[in-house]
Amino acid sequence: MIDTEGRQTRPSGASRRSQDQTARKTFLVITLLPFFLIALIAIALIIRTWPILRAYSPASLVFGTVWKPDNGQFGFWPFITGTVWVTVVGVILSVPACLLVSLYLSEYAHSTTRSITKPVLDLLAAIPPVVYGVWGLLVIVPFVEKILAPLSKKWLGAIPIFAVNQPTGFSILSGGIVLAVMIAPLIISVVYEILSTVPNDLRHASLAVGATKWQTIRQIVIPQVLPGIVAGVVLGASRALGETIAVLMVVGNVAKVPTSIFDPAYPLPALIANNYGDMMSVPLYDAALLGAALVLLIVILIFNIISTLVLQRMLARKKA
Amino acid sequence: MFFSTIIAFSLMLSACASAPAPASSGTQAPGSSIDSLSGNISVSGAFALYPMMTVWAQEYQKLHPNVQFDIQGGGAGKGMTDALSGAVDIGMVSRKIKPEEETKGAYWVTVAEDGVFPVISAQNPVAADITAKGISQDTFKKIFMTGEIKTWGEVVGKPEVKDAIHVYTRSDSAGAADTWAQYVGGKAQADILTTAIGVNGEPALVDTVAKDPLGISFSNLGGIFDITTGNVVQGTIVPPMDMNANGQVDAGEFFKTMNDASSAIASGKYPFPPARFENLVTNGKPTGLVLAFMNWILTDGQQLLEQAGYVKLTPAQQAESLAKLK
Repeated sequence: MIDTEGRQTRPSGASRRSQDQTARKTFLVITLLPFFLIALIAIALIIRTWPILRAYSPASLVFGTVWKPDNGQFGFWPFITGTVWVTVVGVILSVPACLLVSLYLSEYAHSTTRSITKPVLDLLAAIPPVVYGVWGLLVIVPFVEKILAPLSKKWLGAIPIFAVNQPTGFSILSGGIVLAVMIAPLIISVVYEILSTVPNDLRHASLAVGATKWQTIRQIVIPQVLPGIVAGVVLGASRALGETIAVLMVVGNVAKVPTSIFDPAYPLPALIANNYGDMMSVPLYDAALLGAALVLLIVILIFNIISTLVLQRMLARKKA
Repeated sequence: MFFSTIIAFSLMLSACASAPAPASSGTQAPGSSIDSLSGNISVSGAFALYPMMTVWAQEYQKLHPNVQFDIQGGGAGKGMTDALSGAVDIGMVSRKIKPEEETKGAYWVTVAEDGVFPVISAQNPVAADITAKGISQDTFKKIFMTGEIKTWGEVVGKPEVKDAIHVYTRSDSAGAADTWAQYVGGKAQADILTTAIGVNGEPALVDTVAKDPLGISFSNLGGIFDITTGNVVQGTIVPPMDMNANGQVDAGEFFKTMNDASSAIASGKYPFPPARFENLVTNGKPTGLVLAFMNWILTDGQQLLEQAGYVKLTPAQQAESLAKLK
C-alpha cells in the first residue's frame, strides 16, 4: 500500500506480527529440511543394508579385509582405508599450495593479476571430473610410474609409506594428485574470500608500527581468520572424500589395504560405481553395495563432526 | 571411459527409393507395410557387442527410418542391471545369464559367438620369444590366477629377464573378465589375481596395455581387433596361445587378424571358454518393436556379423534362439 506521497503505509500491528510469524516459520521449515534429508537417506540405506547386517556382524563387515562377494565375503576395510589414504594425500598435496595462492591473491597481488587469476580458477572448478580422470590416466599415471616411483625407490624406498611395491603408476599418489588439482579451486576461493573479510585498518595499523608485510600476514591476518581457513580445507576434503569417477580411473581399484602411497587402492565411491552392474545377480550384493554407501556416509559424518569440534575449540580459544 | 553414443541418423529415404524388405523376418503381420515400425530402442551393456550393435542399428534404420536407436557401452553388468531395471529395452550381456538374474525376469537369447583373447604390448621385452613359443593355458593360469609366474623371463623360460609382469583386469563388471577367469581356472571376475590393476572399461584397458610394455590383459574380438581394418589395435599383440602346450606356435595358434580369430572360433578350434556366446537380455519376453528387431538380428542380421568379422550362430543355435522368441 502506497500513500499519496509515495511512501509505504504502515500496516496494522497485528498484520505485521503475523507476517513476521509466517516468515519465521517458513524459514524454519526450510532450514530443517537438510536434517530430514540426511535422516531419510540414512534410514533408506539402513533398510536396504539390513539383509547383510543380519547375516554378518557390523564389526566383521567394517574390519573384514577380504572382498569376494561370490564367496560371501564382504570386508569393507580395504575400501575405507583406500578412501582415507587417497583423500589425505590429496589434501596434503593441495592445502599448502592453496594457502599460499590465496594469501598471495589477497595480500600481495595487483588487482589486474587478481582479475585474471579468479576466472581461471573458476574455470578449473568447472571442468567435469571425468575430464580430470582422462587427464590423470594419460598424464599423471605415466608420470608417477616413470618419474616419481623410480625417484622414491632411490631416495625414500626405506620408508614404508613411500615404498614402491607394485610396478604401475595406478596408485594412491596418482589419485591424490588428481584430487589435489580438483579441490584446489574450491579451497582457494573460500580461503581468499575469508582473507578479504579482514578489515584493512588492522593491516594498516600493523604496517604503521613498522611490521613487514610477511609479519602482518603471520601475526595479524592469519590469526584473525584461522577458523575460516580450517572450514575451507574441510570443504575441500569433503569434496575429495566423495569424488568418484576421476579417482577410480587412476587409482587401480585393487581391494587390498594399502601401505604405501605407491600402492593401488579402492575407495568406497569407486566400489559402488564399478560394481553397480553385479547388483542384480550375486546374493546380498546389493545390500553390500548400499552398505558401502552407508559406510561412506558415516565416514563423512564422522569427519564433519570432528572438524566442527575442532573449529569450535579454535573459536572458543580465540575469544578467551 | 564410458562409451556413449547416440545414434540419430536422419536417414530420410526419399519417397521413390524403395526400402529393401527383410527376406525372412517373419514378424510382420500379413499386409502391414514395413515402415509401420517406428519408435525408440535403447540398448546398453557389453563392449564386446557394442560395435556390432551400432552396425545392426544402422542397417535396421535403413530399412525402418522411423526407428531411433540409443546405444551405450558400459559392460555386461550394466547391460543386465539396466535391462532388469527398465532403464533400457535391450541389455547386451557377454557372459552366461545367472539363475538369480533369470528369477528376476531376465529373458535372453543368444545372438552371436565371440571370444576373449589375451593381449600384450607390442613393445614387450620378450615379444619375439612369445610370438615364437606362445603362451600355454597353464602359464596363463599361473599369471592370472595363482600369481606364481611374476616375471616375463619365467613366461618364456629365460630366468635372466627379470621384468615384472603387470597384470591388468577390468574394474567394472565385465563379461570378458568372467569368461577369461573361467579359461584360467576360476569361476568369475573376482577370482582373477587380487593384485591385478583394475581399469574401467574395455577401450581404456586395451589402451593401457598398449602403452605398458610389461602389461598383459584380455579383451574380446571387437576390442582388440579394429572392426574396419581387421588388424590388431595399434601397439598391441595377441600373444599366440600354445593350445597343445608343445612349447612352439603351430598353425592356428597365432591370431594376427580378426579373420584368423573369428574363423578359429567358428570352426570350434578356439577353446570354449574363452570363446563365448553373446546374449541380448530383455525384462520379460520381448514384444513389439524390440521383438521385431531381435528377430531381424537373428535372421538377416546374422549375415552382417560375418561381414564385420564376427562369428555368426550355427543353424542349430540360430533355430534355438528364434524358437525362444516365438
